[in-house]
Amino acid sequence: MKIAVLQFPGTNCEFETLVAVKAVGMEGEIFRWNRPAGELSGFDGFVIPGGFSYQDRLRAGVIASKEPVMSALKEEAGIGKPIIGICNGFQILVETGLLPGSIEKSSGNVDMALAQNVMISQGKIVRRGYYCDWVNLRHEAPSKRCSGSFAIERGALLKIPIAHGEGNLVTTTPGLMKKLNDEGQVVFRYCDRNGRIINEFPFNVNGSTESIAAICNEPGNVLGMMPHPERAFFAWQLPAFDPRKQRPDEPGPGRRVFESMKRYIEVNA
Amino acid sequence: MSMNRKINLRVWLKIPDAEAATVKNTLIRRLGFGNVLDDVKKERLFSIEVDSGDPEELAKSFARELVNENKESHIVLIDELKFEEDYVPVKVTLHIEDGEAISIRERLRSRLGFENVVDVKKATVWKLYFNTLKPEAQIKAGEIAEQLLINPHKDSYEIMI
Repeated sequence: MKIAVLQFPGTNCEFETLVAVKAVGMEGEIFRWNRPAGELSGFDGFVIPGGFSYQDRLRAGVIASKEPVMSALKEEAGIGKPIIGICNGFQILVETGLLPGSIEKSSGNVDMALAQNVMISQGKIVRRGYYCDWVNLRHEAPSKRCSGSFAIERGALLKIPIAHGEGNLVTTTPGLMKKLNDEGQVVFRYCDRNGRIINEFPFNVNGSTESIAAICNEPGNVLGMMPHPERAFFAWQLPAFDPRKQRPDEPGPGRRVFESMKRYIEVNA
Repeated sequence: MSMNRKINLRVWLKIPDAEAATVKNTLIRRLGFGNVLDDVKKERLFSIEVDSGDPEELAKSFARELVNENKESHIVLIDELKFEEDYVPVKVTLHIEDGEAISIRERLRSRLGFENVVDVKKATVWKLYFNTLKPEAQIKAGEIAEQLLINPHKDSYEIMI
């Protein structure tokens, strides 16, 4: 079971992502964007980690989305291999058309955008731009619906950090939000520590439509999420105010995303 | 009765523009525009609406706040917006709320005391230099905008010819 962790110029989370991949028992390696794209077919799954590919020039993720390696990745997605895009990886998947579109229409259609953060509280804009913090996520999809949350039960709460300036999901595609909700493609939403969805800052940390933090494609093999599970993989990575930090041998909540990917591959092999 | 005036500041880097270079590279190497496209340059455009004051003097003040003369150049156009003939200008604006434009307006009004500022709009103007005749160049400019320069869920574009 071999995972490619894609690296573009400006990616900066590839090494800790690779540690997470290996720590759940998968093999993995960093796959540079300028390797022959056909070599991707030798892998069982893919992670596009966070960072600032191409320095976020033009808009986050768009330049990387035009690289040949992403065309090859579309083909791998089309045969059902799991792909997880984290933060900038999510932005790249959106600009590629792999999310939220179904595989058939992903030849170039971009159905949504991850726009600049706009934090709203009590009807007022209280903050804009880059923001990093620990957030609470509620798992919205049924278990086994999506590769990156395959082994997570519906309603589970995860505390995972975010760090981004463009995570505000917006769309002008008619009916898209209804489709995402009806077909279980909304995977995580931002929530409070009790799991309540409160659609304003500081719970909705970036103004994202319906507090959405993660979505998957229609078949469920491609997941994009703004939070960074690799930064909450071990309990010792948790913030000082979290009591689990004092039990460093325990797994962190982010581990469940990588365990899910592994389980998805095992079941679908 | 007073009439509002619009002060347009066209601002560009006088040092190499890495973002424009990346866009040019992507258009030529990844999106197949190498046979028609010669060069890509970029400008920021601030359109500042005021309800009083001498627009020429105000433009100088606004430029001091919005332009870093160490690395940028600019020109001022009052109540008009025109571009040179040797490229196709594509103006890209956000159609969702533009937080930076709002911040600039509030900074000018509240912190810097320009209470005559009514509105601020911000755009990026991509200057596309083609080696083809204008009708084809305009068609290609539209294709470039839709394939790379905008995400239609948050951006709009206008070819300024």
